[in-house]
Amino acid sequence: MEDNTSDKRTERILNSLDGLQRSAAPNFFYTRLTGRMQQEEQPGKEKIFLLKPAFVTAVLSLVLVVNIFSLMKLGGQPAKNENRHANKPATIESFAEAYGMNNTVSVYE
Amino acid sequence: MTEEELLLGLRNGEEPAFKELVILFQDKVFNTALGLLQHHTEAEDIAQEVFIQVYRSIGQFKGDSLLSTWIYRITVTRALDHLRSKKRKKRFGFLSSLFGDDNKPVYEPEDFNHPGVQKERKEDAALLFKMIDQLPENQRTAFILNKVEELSYREIAGILNSSESAVDSLLQRAKQNLRKKLKDLPP
Repeated sequence: MEDNTSDKRTERILNSLDGLQRSAAPNFFYTRLTGRMQQEEQPGKEKIFLLKPAFVTAVLSLVLVVNIFSLMKLGGQPAKNENRHANKPATIESFAEAYGMNNTVSVYE
Repeated sequence: MTEEELLLGLRNGEEPAFKELVILFQDKVFNTALGLLQHHTEAEDIAQEVFIQVYRSIGQFKGDSLLSTWIYRITVTRALDHLRSKKRKKRFGFLSSLFGDDNKPVYEPEDFNHPGVQKERKEDAALLFKMIDQLPENQRTAFILNKVEELSYREIAGILNSSESAVDSLLQRAKQNLRKKLKDLPP
């Protein structure tokens, strides 16, 4: 009995579109259409991709990642340099080497 | 204007021909889009896009099918593309707010009421449209073209680039699926 009622309900709903009248396009459809076509033909109306929030976010994230990576890499280097020169006493020759002055030619030679 | 005269006028970019085309097909295009999208504003947007595409690509229409078949095909393609785009935006809700032109959240409307449904059947029809929304694309399209646009199997087959038997099969499966979904609903 319940199945019969349920089946009738199902068929009733399934047939609810019978006799449906076609919906008319909204008023002034042609006017709005031609207005839109004129607008689309105007130059400079396209949104510049570079200004879209998603693109800007992606670029900034990339810059941030590169900066973090660079800082991590640089953070390791001073320790290596320090170890290399830790036991070397400061001399005039090492000073000259550091400032690239050991290749100068004397005017007296 | 005969179809040949209309086509000639359209290919020459004549405004009276384009206006005639819009007047002839605007209700068909809008009604089809409305049935598929279940949203008035979106249906109007898509209907406009259909005519813009027809205007721009009339040179590509070779006359293999009727002009009406070609226009219905564009309407179905545009409407389904829009539906897929909406589903993608729903799935990636956060990202869609970044991609949206105006950053508005995706809006979920209430029950859809087709304006052409008889008054005493409105409630049932609203429920049916909800179930149609869950059908696979091809079944949904065939059902809407048959029930909402009242096209014959032959016309639907032309639009879907299919055969009449394939359309019959799609409609049978659509009805089976709808029956199953309706039976699962609470009384």
